[in-house]
Amino acid sequence: MTLQINGLSRRFGGLKAVNDVTTSIADRAIHSIIGPNGAGKTTLFNLVTGALAPDAGRISFQGQDITGWTPERLAGIGIARTFQRTSIFKDLPVVENVALSIRSRRGMNRSLMRSAATERSIDVEARDILAWVGLSSKEHIRAGSLAHGFQRALDIAIGLALKPKIILMDEPLAGMSRGDRETVATLITRLREEMGLAIVVVEHDVGMVMRLSDRITVMQHGKVIAEGPPAAVREDEAVKNAYLHGNFAA
Amino acid sequence: MTDAVVLQSKNLAGERAPSRRPYLLAMIILAVLGATLPFWVTNSPFLLILASHAVVAAIVALSLDLLTGNTGLLSFGHAAWYGFGAYAAGLLSKNFSSEILVILPLTVMAASLTALAIGAILVRQIGKTFAILTLALSQIFYALVFVFSDRTGGEDGLQGVPIITAFGQTVASPEAWYWLLYGVLVASLAGALYLRTTPLGRAWLAIKENTERARFIGINTGALKLIAYVFSAGLASLAGALFVLFNGAVSPDVLHWFESGKILMYVVLGGVGTIVGPIFGAAAFTLTEHYVSSVTDAWLIYFGGLFVLIIIVAPGGLFGIAGSLYARLAAGRETRS
Repeated sequence: MTLQINGLSRRFGGLKAVNDVTTSIADRAIHSIIGPNGAGKTTLFNLVTGALAPDAGRISFQGQDITGWTPERLAGIGIARTFQRTSIFKDLPVVENVALSIRSRRGMNRSLMRSAATERSIDVEARDILAWVGLSSKEHIRAGSLAHGFQRALDIAIGLALKPKIILMDEPLAGMSRGDRETVATLITRLREEMGLAIVVVEHDVGMVMRLSDRITVMQHGKVIAEGPPAAVREDEAVKNAYLHGNFAA
Repeated sequence: MTDAVVLQSKNLAGERAPSRRPYLLAMIILAVLGATLPFWVTNSPFLLILASHAVVAAIVALSLDLLTGNTGLLSFGHAAWYGFGAYAAGLLSKNFSSEILVILPLTVMAASLTALAIGAILVRQIGKTFAILTLALSQIFYALVFVFSDRTGGEDGLQGVPIITAFGQTVASPEAWYWLLYGVLVASLAGALYLRTTPLGRAWLAIKENTERARFIGINTGALKLIAYVFSAGLASLAGALFVLFNGAVSPDVLHWFESGKILMYVVLGGVGTIVGPIFGAAAFTLTEHYVSSVTDAWLIYFGGLFVLIIIVAPGGLFGIAGSLYARLAAGRETRS
């Protein structure tokens, strides 16, 4: 198991946003977390990525306890994330977006040394990653002027530059055109096939989730109500009720 | 859509970008003019002194841009470190040593250590909270001058700073002072420009652009902001130290929020984050302030108006205007040729 979550809880005032959640993410799995609005998906995501600290429970990653770690530390051990609203460095060139991530991984953030050889090797690595996500020949464009779908791909490239073992994606398909969704969906599959990553996807688009995922966790009112492969989840009574019949997996 | 992006990539890919050579040439000419200024103004020693004040203002403007231009942290109280340097160096020169090679390192070290302790708390705050706290800090320093008025001279200011020495030789002539200040400015500018190209400088820009994303790629944003804060405070204190030794006296006004406002204005006027811009902003401001205030008492009204105008019309500052004008001219030339 790559990522193990045990009895995780987080409340906001009187609301138990995440209530005693236990699940695990396998190596090289595409694992989706779905559920109606307010189910606690995003809170769970924020707990795992270090954006929020849990009130109770444990998270461990490859046997190491990472409960309550900051995002900076998590990035250092190979946990990357992407954002629902694409989060890139808009005013910097595309290649610099990825180079920043590479330098960070190499522990150079506080370096005052400027080495042409090092920068060259970073540049080569950054171009490789950009080519892999389909952004070659766009290296020197200002990141903010990329088309929407390309910005999402860059967001993924920034995460990939950390050489992560797991990548968590917050609604990667939200607000995208049909064509862009297919591109991103293919990219997600390739992350597992070619990079051997575990991928956690929090997503509203149930149809796409059914197609992509190896395993699905369904949440409602902060709790896990069903978990299993897509086919089993599709037939689950509790899941059908949660989605008010018929609307699910159309 | 794809076509548009590819087209744009060609424009920005480097080969067709406007050449940097005229820009470098202009900088070199300006630098040489600055260095040879004492030969141009031999008839009016006052102009040289005014220029020296402008150079000090430029150093302190550069120091604020190290913080604000690199990390996006906005300081409303940067005079705190400028004043800290002025008082620390003034007191050192009166009570300890008049050797500038002793005073300056001690002052900068003291300011940096103090900034490290205070900054550790400040940089945890963001946006307005940080700005307000920096303002509060400068007011505390301001009040301290009056609390310890038996040492600092209180309202009368710190008087009687001795003529200083460098390597045992007295430094008194306006020319020597100008070159000393100018040398420090050029060295600081070179340092700031170099920093921009280092991994640290690049990571700072990442923080300024998108702090959240920076954290999630493993950049310790708190620590890096603190480094910027300490560098910035250290350089500001150096400017303050040079000011008091050059001027021979300092009044509590250097710690007043109005001084902080002026420093911020230098940077905004010149262009936040451009490194070179704030230097021109400070020089332009100092010269204009001198001449306009000798014509009218209401000069602040005009500055206020100018400030508002700059923010609305040219948020990139003077340097931003010059840059976009040049880019437009270069683009025009290319289309014609």
